[in-house]
Amino acid sequence: MSKKIESAYIEGAKKAIASPTLQKSLDNIQDRFGKGAMQLWKELEDQGMRDRVKESRMRTLAHLDIILMELAQKVRKRGGKVFFARTAEEAVAYTLEVAQKNQVKSVVKGKSMTSMEIDIDPALEKAGIEVVETDLGEYIIQLAGDTPSHIIAPCIHMDRHDIGKLFTDKLGIEPTTDPPELTMAARKALREKLLSADMGITGCNLACAETGQIALVSNEGNIRMSTTMPRIHLALMGMERVTATTDEQRETLQLLTRGAALQKLSTYVSFNGGPKKEGDPDGPEEFHLVIIDNGRSKILADLEFRESLACIRCGACLNICPVYGKIGGHAYNSTYPGPIGAVITPLLDGVNKHADLCKGETLCGACLDVCPVKNDLPRMLSALRYKLAYGDNRWNVRQHNVKEAYVYAAWQKAISHSSAYRRMIKTARLLQKPFIGKNNMIKKMAGLASGWTDDRDLPPIAQRTFSEIWDEKYAKRQQQTPAIKEETNNEK
Amino acid sequence: MAGKKVSLFVQCLVDSMFPQAAEAMVSIFQRLQIDFDYPTQQTCCGQPAFNSGYRKDATVAARRFIEIFENEAVIVCPSGSCVHMVRHHYPELFADDPEMLARAKTVGSKTFEFTQYLVDELNLSNIGAEFPGKVTYHDSCHLSRGLQINSQPRTLLRHIKGLEFIEMKDSDTCCGFGGTFAINYPDISTAMVDEKIENILASGAEVVTGCDISCLMNIQGRLSRREENVKVMHIAELLASTAGGQS
Amino acid sequence: MRNDLPFLDNIRKALNLPQGQERTKLTVPTLFEKPDKSATRRRIERRTYQEKQDLINIFSENCTNLGTKLHIAGSLKEAEDITVEIVRSRQPEFSYNRHIVLHDHPDIAAMQLWKRFNRESVTVHTTFSGDHETTEKTIASYIGITVPSISIAESGTLVQITSAGCPRSTSLVPSIHIALIRSETLVADLKEACCLLEDLKPEDSYVFISGPSKTADIEAHLVHGAHGPKEVHIILLKEEPQQLEPQAIQVESESPSEEKTESETPPEQACTLDDQAEETAEKS
Repeated sequence: MSKKIESAYIEGAKKAIASPTLQKSLDNIQDRFGKGAMQLWKELEDQGMRDRVKESRMRTLAHLDIILMELAQKVRKRGGKVFFARTAEEAVAYTLEVAQKNQVKSVVKGKSMTSMEIDIDPALEKAGIEVVETDLGEYIIQLAGDTPSHIIAPCIHMDRHDIGKLFTDKLGIEPTTDPPELTMAARKALREKLLSADMGITGCNLACAETGQIALVSNEGNIRMSTTMPRIHLALMGMERVTATTDEQRETLQLLTRGAALQKLSTYVSFNGGPKKEGDPDGPEEFHLVIIDNGRSKILADLEFRESLACIRCGACLNICPVYGKIGGHAYNSTYPGPIGAVITPLLDGVNKHADLCKGETLCGACLDVCPVKNDLPRMLSALRYKLAYGDNRWNVRQHNVKEAYVYAAWQKAISHSSAYRRMIKTARLLQKPFIGKNNMIKKMAGLASGWTDDRDLPPIAQRTFSEIWDEKYAKRQQQTPAIKEETNNEK
Repeated sequence: MAGKKVSLFVQCLVDSMFPQAAEAMVSIFQRLQIDFDYPTQQTCCGQPAFNSGYRKDATVAARRFIEIFENEAVIVCPSGSCVHMVRHHYPELFADDPEMLARAKTVGSKTFEFTQYLVDELNLSNIGAEFPGKVTYHDSCHLSRGLQINSQPRTLLRHIKGLEFIEMKDSDTCCGFGGTFAINYPDISTAMVDEKIENILASGAEVVTGCDISCLMNIQGRLSRREENVKVMHIAELLASTAGGQS
Repeated sequence: MRNDLPFLDNIRKALNLPQGQERTKLTVPTLFEKPDKSATRRRIERRTYQEKQDLINIFSENCTNLGTKLHIAGSLKEAEDITVEIVRSRQPEFSYNRHIVLHDHPDIAAMQLWKRFNRESVTVHTTFSGDHETTEKTIASYIGITVPSISIAESGTLVQITSAGCPRSTSLVPSIHIALIRSETLVADLKEACCLLEDLKPEDSYVFISGPSKTADIEAHLVHGAHGPKEVHIILLKEEPQQLEPQAIQVESESPSEEKTESETPPEQACTLDDQAEETAEKS
């Protein structure tokens, strides 16, 4: 508050705001999907569904030990292998071990946020394994050496011209900017990779302990390809992405596909677990499920934030958030952008490190309304700010801004005594005089709130405040209000 | 309406920067013959500190507010976000203090946003106002999403004689104020308020109104910097207008 | 390399449970309780002829919205004609040879497609269990034909269950997927479908397919055929009650019982079916 924070978040935001391509795409996606999801929830025939799913998500979290144990047992019964990874490093090491044991030369990936969270690609590439993203958007990002900027639409910051040029450079196709032609070029290039890869790595949208199968959702078919054609299928699963029963799995998936892209069901929702059966020509020979903690148990332990693990990663909050709508995904500097990212990134990767994510929203509440499981993200952002304000041992948070803390301590003193408060207003009224410009607005402020007047005017303190007007005009009109003692115990 | 009495809870920004909004509210109560009082010890409800994470400081403000207002029958405020603070965040602040929690809830239950009070509590829709001109309405976030107050201001606006009410696109999208957000992240905030302003301009309205001066201050500040010719008025000012101007 | 114990212990700690005390599903039996589905089952079983007609209309509308072509066939013979027409009118995408691949399923076998193509350069493969060349044959094929077990009206969805002789790739790798379904397999919604799935207890993997493969990753422009099939055709085999059997779909809308149906159906839905009938008629 005392000085302008220049951070990666602000830099990223500025860059995004200056990009007309991104602004157009963001407008487009928010207009369609953000508002669409809000509308869909209003029209949902089964109005109890969202609360029911939330309840089942929270129940699952409260019994996660039981449910994960059951899941592991069922997957193993199907002939699959389960590995519990406490950290990203353990998950990466296991994946690498599976790849090397099976002489894997090439890996195809189905879009997975968790794989980005644990940063698996560099490890595989270092081991000489080719890694190809197969979701069209992710593939484009990979070709461009870029990072995704949206959970479900990774390359919304690029337009058809950028992509056309990229494909001509990297795939050697004739120059074109036609989306169908570009898509067909990628289809052809990726088909070869998908048909010949040794190993498919996917995420896991939602596992089910009852059946030991994981549900994977996609529209393109790349995930089905990645789990059908290669010899090995390895699924990376955040440990909270599980339900106890198929009934819960079904309802949750229905909210996921609706929240993500207003679909009753995605084009493909596949249920896999275990290797292929005897005599099956395709399907993997080995199936591995890697269940990853990587900081989640710490969130689970804190009731204030446990709710964030109920998230089903549909991305609806990105599609409605007015801040995301301006700054896009890159500014968040995290695998998880948008409102959900602003909550879980600090929790997974350090609150101080990501202080801007905690503070850089308006708490407008749109994300809460659009969330299929009604996660109260504004409440959690506010709780994170509380930790930054004074520091917090549990989450290893240092006081974020000593100057700001001082300002609020002074503010607290000022508002505790109405007479002192009114004197302060009077003083400010005197001090503001030189700054008042034409049309009676302040054009430039120094110090504390100078950010305000970068692009905006500020109305000055009125000639007469309402309390002054009250004293002059109304107070004597009626009987005296019963006096309330000024608090004195706060004075030093 | 004789016999009713309200206690005025005047948001600090209204008190110091937009006293005309509070005065307009007072004049409406006078017109409706509702008695009113203004506890002069009030300062700030603590919202800025709370939203910035300074809950300990906000708690001091909240405790003070409760002590000042808890004996009042009805508390009315011309600002949705302050009412939201009292109703929803005070109980959070005192979650571990049963006695204060009960007091906070009691105060919250009798604290109303101005238009909510007129429409829901007094069952009014036409209060005899007259205002010639095209007006559009901005839904403040804590008002519309936090308190579910959407129809009340619209009902009142639609009953103002001579007023042509125009809905703008995305009226309930945040204006980018967000308290210290606007100061700490001015670039993002400006991009947001610019979109709001485009929607206001596209509506063709001459006046933009709302129930929360914080948002209106943000919109007004940007309109003024852009030298746009749209006037910003608190809804109380419109409702206080009569044939002979503001009463 | 097993980490189960420390991992789960850590979760128990996070949940504030006493250390070292393992909970199993027997500790909290309610967790895995299944809701009573008898009402859903009854709904499926007691569906009237008219309600089934309505389901077909809803299914048809949703297929159209998804870009799936729905053909309605009054008999297996008609289904066969429709299939042959699709095979003849489409070109292979990735090669010059016309191979098609069929699931080893009695309904497909009954069409005897190999006989229809015995004088054309169309090679017909069947995915017999144990055939080690099935994958190569599937990759070489431009059309894959399957018989999904369940179809869902609400979302235009096919439920394809993997089993011996019915591998996963047939509905995925070829450029065109033709699904032959019987009208009895059509249910109203996902809830009903899952109820049936529970009875079927799929041992292997299964997939819900709703429309052709698609992407909108480039400027939110919808393109069909990202990685999976570009085209999905559903041939709905709707054998009429005995007295109507010989009548093909062209006649359907003229039959007295159908007229009644039509008057009770919203005009646009009736229209969809009509269009569908005409389209099929053109082809056959």
